Amino acid sequence: MRKILGCAFGAMVLAAAPSFAHHSAVMFDEAKEITVKGTVKEFQYTNPHSWLLVDVKNEDGTVTTWGFEAEGPSTLTRAGIRKSDFMPGTTITISGHPMRDGRPAASWTKAMRGDGKEFVPGAGFAIK
Amino acid sequence: MSNRIRATGGWRLAVVVALVGVAGAAAAQPSTAPAPSPEKQRQTKLGIEQKTAAGLYAYFKQKADGGTPLTWRSVPDWTGIWTREASPFFFDPDQTSMTSMPTAKLTPPFEKQLREKLDRIARGIEFDPLSNCEPAGMPRWLVEPFLREFVVTPQQTYLMNEMQNEIRRIYTDGRGHPSPDDAYPLWEGDSIGFWEGDKLVIHTNQMRAGQYQRLQPAYTERVETVEVWRKTDPSTMTVDVWSYDPPVLIEPWYTKQVYKKLSNADNSLRIRYWDCGENQNNTVTKTAEGSSDFTNFTFTKKGDK
Repeated sequence: MRKILGCAFGAMVLAAAPSFAHHSAVMFDEAKEITVKGTVKEFQYTNPHSWLLVDVKNEDGTVTTWGFEAEGPSTLTRAGIRKSDFMPGTTITISGHPMRDGRPAASWTKAMRGDGKEFVPGAGFAIK
Repeated sequence: MSNRIRATGGWRLAVVVALVGVAGAAAAQPSTAPAPSPEKQRQTKLGIEQKTAAGLYAYFKQKADGGTPLTWRSVPDWTGIWTREASPFFFDPDQTSMTSMPTAKLTPPFEKQLREKLDRIARGIEFDPLSNCEPAGMPRWLVEPFLREFVVTPQQTYLMNEMQNEIRRIYTDGRGHPSPDDAYPLWEGDSIGFWEGDKLVIHTNQMRAGQYQRLQPAYTERVETVEVWRKTDPSTMTVDVWSYDPPVLIEPWYTKQVYKKLSNADNSLRIRYWDCGENQNNTVTKTAEGSSDFTNFTFTKKGDK
């Protein structure tokens, strides 16, 4: 379904984002990060978790819909991420820790919109 | 553009790696908690001297001459949107290391149980009942992240956590707890309290068994807490907490919880209802081995790779 060009295990970095507080993150491979480029299909801005669905064109011309999970609306709001930031059709490059079982889903770590603006969901846990 | 995977790491990886170290330690090895501060030692000593949560609450109430009933004129301003300051991983903010055990003095059976749980997590086996919007319940309520609101009225105070829509009701109208014959386990327990000036003292019993947090010890239905809430500056709520639970704790576990008021100049922060059934993609189920998995995505099928 999709082609993965490279794979590497990362150094241990203490990022700002804590583990999902609502459910275990064992289904995600925290040692890996994928980055895909595509267009926003839908931004499901819901509690307890939000899902950003991104259509990614594969090399064979087919399209895979990827899902990127983040915390819910209040944490995203604190991170400066609003529903209107990712309207359908928005061009996006997005990264996350992928599912261990290979399904096209990941826990969202960061994203860059086509206009160059960056979005980091984990920043929503900062106290300010 | 093709997908690519690149090197990175994350906090959660650090958790798992650290847990391998904790779980791998010999079960007989003593906990490596940081040395308690003089204040913590004093508060712990007070908790030990009063023997039980009910005893400590009675001690505080006697010291306060029964407390001072609030009026609408004396209601403190606890308005705003708040969140917990410390790491959500640890019940005690004094625990800052993934490689140390919690600061609680655990009985051998519950220390063993915790080490076994940490070992399972280190092996990637974990399921949290909260995954399906089960309430955290007290005392875990104190540690969960996300937004909070505190609403004070003369007769009753409402302590609200966005997560799982959990609302604690603190009765300050002079009533006592239900009689033991009528008591039964409750998610948030039964809370009564009194005011001493701007301090709210709370006694909570009748709680359900649970866990202080995913990486933390369990508690039983015998757990009881005493809390002293005080707004120590315009953006800080400080809460002294004593947990009593004889099956689990060798002595009362004193912790200081701190909640910070968030800036919300544009009023964009608003607490919304949580419903795990609202978005099918949030359905997390318990696997046969006792771990967690998504089962029912709308955008892909189980066999898609």
